[in-house]
Amino acid sequence: MHRLLLLCGLLSSFQLVAQDDLLAMLEKEDAKKPTYTLATFKASRLINGQSVETIAKQHVNFWISHRFGAINSGFIDNFFGLDEARIRLGLEYAVTDNLLVGAGRSTIEKTYDTFAKYKVLRQSNKMPVTVTAFGSVASNTMKTGYTMESGTVMRFYNNLQRQSYLGQVLIARKFSDKLSLQLMPTILHNNLAESVYMENTQAAMGFGGRYKLNNRLSVSAEYYYNLVEKDEYEESAGQKYPYHNSFAIGFDIETGGHVFQLHVSNSRGMIEKHFIGQTIGSWENGDIFYGFNIARTFSFEPKIKK
Amino acid sequence: MKYLITLFFICLVWTANAQLFTTQTGEISFFSKTPMEDIDAVNKQVGSIINSATNEVAVQMRVTNFIFPNKLMQEHFNENYLETDKYPNATFKGKIKESIDLKVAGTYAVTAAGTATIHGVSRPVELKGTLVSTGKTVALTCLFDIHLDEYKIDIPKIVFKKIAEVIKVKGNITYTLR
Repeated sequence: MHRLLLLCGLLSSFQLVAQDDLLAMLEKEDAKKPTYTLATFKASRLINGQSVETIAKQHVNFWISHRFGAINSGFIDNFFGLDEARIRLGLEYAVTDNLLVGAGRSTIEKTYDTFAKYKVLRQSNKMPVTVTAFGSVASNTMKTGYTMESGTVMRFYNNLQRQSYLGQVLIARKFSDKLSLQLMPTILHNNLAESVYMENTQAAMGFGGRYKLNNRLSVSAEYYYNLVEKDEYEESAGQKYPYHNSFAIGFDIETGGHVFQLHVSNSRGMIEKHFIGQTIGSWENGDIFYGFNIARTFSFEPKIKK
Repeated sequence: MKYLITLFFICLVWTANAQLFTTQTGEISFFSKTPMEDIDAVNKQVGSIINSATNEVAVQMRVTNFIFPNKLMQEHFNENYLETDKYPNATFKGKIKESIDLKVAGTYAVTAAGTATIHGVSRPVELKGTLVSTGKTVALTCLFDIHLDEYKIDIPKIVFKKIAEVIKVKGNITYTLR
């Protein structure tokens, strides 16, 4: 009996104490809801490759990307590469907050690419990482019998041979408000390999990250390690594997509705097929290309009602 | 006797609870007007409690729950201005000055004095508003100004002309008796 009394007494006094601090009660209620991590990266692209970010529903991004010639291509001949540029123009549209679809066209191999990107998991106080799936199709529309940068003469006998497919899982974690890191396991399939000694399907592992210097400026870097058997190729083909791993480093600058990404890279390709599979330049040889991406965001969301 | 005492305590607990008006879906919106740009945003997940026995009020919201028509703006608001990684919540805690009984239906013009915390800065404030009670529910409307510099919210010079120094805030909160 006394115990029961005591219990009741405690219970009631606890209730009274608990409601003394109304803010603490609200805090308790609030703690039940998950807290999502915002803005792991500034843009939907890290540098050449994708980031885990999708954009907000009914927003459109217009991407203008340039990669200039090699910085070591001379002043008189090429104005340190600025005389020539490879371009990709791209549009992406957010069907939902988590689903992004887009298309683009690159100068390199006159390639059209279409892609879809879906945010599967969002980092929150209950989930350690954000996971996004990315898939794309790239179509090479060069005339058959053109010479590739590697020197290979490429002949297509049907349109299916012009297609390449890519699947990627992007896994990122925002460690602090400044530091975000990302892993990008990738599978790339070319319907037509440029040499009989090359695999149609290649796997690659990407590493990337950004560090915020201040609210408008961040440093980002990206490295894709192509897991292709280069030694095997050298043995069977009797020549060095023509392509290198891609590394890029740059700055993201953000102003109102734009994101500017300025960077240097040994790749000139702006889609995965090109920079993961066909990076001809190497940092050791000084084949460094200066480039930039500009993203302009437009909102098609109707005004909120009040 | 035993049961009587138990019943008494149960009643006590129950009545102790029944004096709280609460909500988790209050609405707070703000509006910034300059010749260059009008910016508005609304948060529809505001938590608030009024204790009708003591007339104490508490309001808490996650700053990230403010929805802007332009998502880039929303990102800037969270990342650059309100720094929601560091200061996720905005709160108000205070007491209604007038002696009113919200359990009695009626319309009351009230003033609440207390502390507002925004962007990690706590300041004493006095908010004026109207409470409309039906006895079971209470609807609060209030309108007040926030001076950005008072809460150490820095707006960079480039966008200075686009964002007003004084932000108009509107609250629309409906409570139910718990």
